[in-house]
Amino acid sequence: MASNGKRSEIISLLSEACELEHGLACSYLYAAFSIKQSASEGDITWDQLQYARRWAGQLYFIASQEMFHLSQAWNLLTALGGTPYYGRPNFPQSHRYYPIDLPLVLEPFGERALKRFIFYELPEHVSDVEFLVKEFHIPKERIQKAFTVGKLYESILNGIKQIPESKLFIGDPALQVGPEVCHFNEIVKVTNRETALRAIHTITEQGEGTKTDQLDCHYGLYLEIEREYRNMRIAATEKGLKFEPARKVIENPMPAFYAGQILAGANVIKNDFSSHVSVLFDNIYSLMLRMLQYVFQSGPLPDGLQKNIADGSIQLMTRVLKPLGEALTLLPSGHGNDLKCGPSFGLYRHVSFPANFRETLYLIIEALTQSADQCKVLSNNAAAPAQLLNATANLVSVQTYISNVAAMSLAEFASAVKS
Amino acid sequence: MKKYDVVIIGAGVAGALIANELAKKGRSVLILEAGVRGPKERTDLVGNYLNSTNRSLGSPYNVFPAGVINKAPIEDAPNLPHYYDQDYNQPDQNKYFKSNYERRVGGSTWHWLGNCPRLLPNDFETASKYKIGVDWPIKYRDLEEWYCRAEHELGVAGDHDELDNYFGAFRSQPFPMPKIWPSYSDLLITQKLSGSSDLWSEFNDKPLALMSTPQARNSEPYDGRPVCAGNSSCVPICPIGAKYDASVHTKKAEANGADLLDKAIVTRIIADESGKITSVEYQDWEDKKHNVKGEIFVLAANAIESAKILLMSDLANESDQVGRNLMDHPQGEGQCIVNEPVFPFRGPPTTSGIDKFRDGTFRAKTAAFRLSMGNDGGGRSNPPQGVLKELINDNFGVVLRQNLKARVTSQFRISFLAEMLPSPDNRVTLSPDKDAAGIFRPRITFSVDTYTLNSFAVIGEVMKSIFLALGSKLEDINVKNPSFLPAGHIMGTCRMGNDPKTSVVDKNLRCHQHPNLYIAGASVFPTVGSANPTITIAALSLRLASFIEKQFKPVTQWHQTEKGQK
Repeated sequence: MASNGKRSEIISLLSEACELEHGLACSYLYAAFSIKQSASEGDITWDQLQYARRWAGQLYFIASQEMFHLSQAWNLLTALGGTPYYGRPNFPQSHRYYPIDLPLVLEPFGERALKRFIFYELPEHVSDVEFLVKEFHIPKERIQKAFTVGKLYESILNGIKQIPESKLFIGDPALQVGPEVCHFNEIVKVTNRETALRAIHTITEQGEGTKTDQLDCHYGLYLEIEREYRNMRIAATEKGLKFEPARKVIENPMPAFYAGQILAGANVIKNDFSSHVSVLFDNIYSLMLRMLQYVFQSGPLPDGLQKNIADGSIQLMTRVLKPLGEALTLLPSGHGNDLKCGPSFGLYRHVSFPANFRETLYLIIEALTQSADQCKVLSNNAAAPAQLLNATANLVSVQTYISNVAAMSLAEFASAVKS
Repeated sequence: MKKYDVVIIGAGVAGALIANELAKKGRSVLILEAGVRGPKERTDLVGNYLNSTNRSLGSPYNVFPAGVINKAPIEDAPNLPHYYDQDYNQPDQNKYFKSNYERRVGGSTWHWLGNCPRLLPNDFETASKYKIGVDWPIKYRDLEEWYCRAEHELGVAGDHDELDNYFGAFRSQPFPMPKIWPSYSDLLITQKLSGSSDLWSEFNDKPLALMSTPQARNSEPYDGRPVCAGNSSCVPICPIGAKYDASVHTKKAEANGADLLDKAIVTRIIADESGKITSVEYQDWEDKKHNVKGEIFVLAANAIESAKILLMSDLANESDQVGRNLMDHPQGEGQCIVNEPVFPFRGPPTTSGIDKFRDGTFRAKTAAFRLSMGNDGGGRSNPPQGVLKELINDNFGVVLRQNLKARVTSQFRISFLAEMLPSPDNRVTLSPDKDAAGIFRPRITFSVDTYTLNSFAVIGEVMKSIFLALGSKLEDINVKNPSFLPAGHIMGTCRMGNDPKTSVVDKNLRCHQHPNLYIAGASVFPTVGSANPTITIAALSLRLASFIEKQFKPVTQWHQTEKGQK
């Protein structure tokens, strides 16, 4: 995995990092969506629910940091002459796709998921290898040689150090995205080796911590959640209480629409309504990514449109995909035992937005309008959970927002808004 | 009981920080706290709050098992017996003290908001600069490195670049965490105010613009505590511990070897003939008396309780200043309905503010103030329940739900806190009445003077101008504040100064009359500026701990000396 000091190799490794950050975010979000939100869902007391809600909050936070890492990796790519990359394999991902001993999957929150997350975020200088040997039943020497996100970035770092600065950083600085556009407070505009190193350092520190602090990083957070979860389960057993913080959802769902592309280990959603909601989720998810990708390659646009598109993308993430994802964990999967489904985070055939911002705005508004119309139809169904209605209202609001900012900037959109 | 190196009275933020610093250095430390500690689970406190039928700041905390009498009473909900002895019947609402506090391990940081703006350089020199109040015996630059340390100890999230050198308040270190993300309404206001930055230029040349509020709330995991998840219930309790409270440092202090006794109400500090403090007498909740000896004593029981203890002990008061100069930050609010949704109740109650009015030559005549942008809809004055009550007469069913949603999502408030000046007539004395523990209650006389009250009208106009810039209609704006609201900032009763005739402690917070008695907390503030006091309390406390440590011989040297003695 060591970089051979060629730009193409560094870009390849960065693309791999993008895939991993992105895939991890989806995995964490799936677990977060599956966490119950009310004691009335059963098998969880009010006290237990407070912990579960906190764990969900921390998972959302970690997922948001993974999205920040993805964005930061895009700035790194652009600085080296690459372009923002959000591709990745659909779930479940074969453990052979990356040199990692555990595949990336979509599974509900629980002990197994937490242990997987701990392993994903393994620091290079992990202090307690014995614990991991015991928990994952992986031989010690394999853990010590395990592929980790941290080691990937270390390779990238080494590659960056090998190529002369003036030759390496050829990307247009105007394409770099800062916090004034995308709301990630710590995002670094990468223009030279120093800023590149700073960017990578922030990513690895947040993920696996430092040699002296493994408490406040993702690894430390997951260790703490796993410890609390275990203690809560022991306490519940001692009191004769049930403790099921997660909804019973299938793993690695896939909408029936894409059954022709099914991967080994995926579970086709057999319920028709749920499958339609799942397709809608995937469409909006793809749109959100393409909008964010556009922000990271467009450079400044007139009238602050670059920031508006970034805002729209973030709003789709938080105000539409979150309630839609939660809604899916309440909808029947069509599999037995009353198993519900979940979002598949499927990426299927589509293309990036064109360079021309007028065309891109048109396409975004068209996609938002079509998704909003579809969402309205689905939310009129008697089976629609409240979260789906919420997502519909918010999607309409995002569509209106983008339409209005486009109209304020471009006359050709103004008449469309009026009509 | 053994003799301690340091005995600290009060387990709030001041006492906890000092205890931890000294315990880390190997000193034997005892903290005496009048109230209780715990419970073990934070969720129990949250449950108390949710189950209260009459919610107040103390609702999570002042719940005791049947048969247990709270021997550390506080001034809490209106329908509970008063703890303060003051004239509640007099008609002028600006003439009694309204702020309360918690008496428990962790103190009032359990229910504080978490805002951590620093005092400004001119706040330390108001007499020299504006001929109001008094000057502190230290300057901003004397405290700056301790502000940085305090921000790291508490875990303060903020924007270093934005605040560095604002009104001359230079910052030598960045915050340990990036700022909390601005809320949706913050972004909207920033956009709407962008054309109005010249407003109110008669105050000073700073633009009218939002600045991120530094706060002791995690914007990322920090010190083993989770990131803020936007529960929005910071006051009175953070359900997950993302907001700092002083139990963080009481736990650290105990882990570093400090002893902490709860339910230990200090009734007297005892001095010998030379004025040196020799011991402290305290009473437990079974009313048994105890005595503990120490080398150095720190009184950190908040401005009302610290003054009360000194008065009961008849100590440190040759200046006749103990208990005097009681101050708060008189607060107020303005509310409006914005002409578009602002989506409140997502995130902390406030994330940004307007600091423009915190300094300027206007302070010679009228109070400085700070504005906080609310993320909590109608704020204290018009919460969602109040809106529902208003709408329910004329609305029903789906229409009621829709109108409630439309109104609550568009509610917005600004709160302000204003500086008040020290006055010897605003004071804490001993009431002839005693509390449940048989200990004197504090008697308080207090009024807010025209220097501060006159600023309310101007502040109202400032708030109105911002609401109008947001697009509110005049009829949807309310900026009336007939009387002040309490801020919970209890300050000033043992003020510091160079002159023993006009102050209680010196610049190192040592009592002028008692060489081994120190006072920590906001009781030592000579003036209060327009900054929430906790980060200044924390900075002064860390500085004091460092000073106290220097009063001891190094631990190794002491051990060597002891070993050498026969």
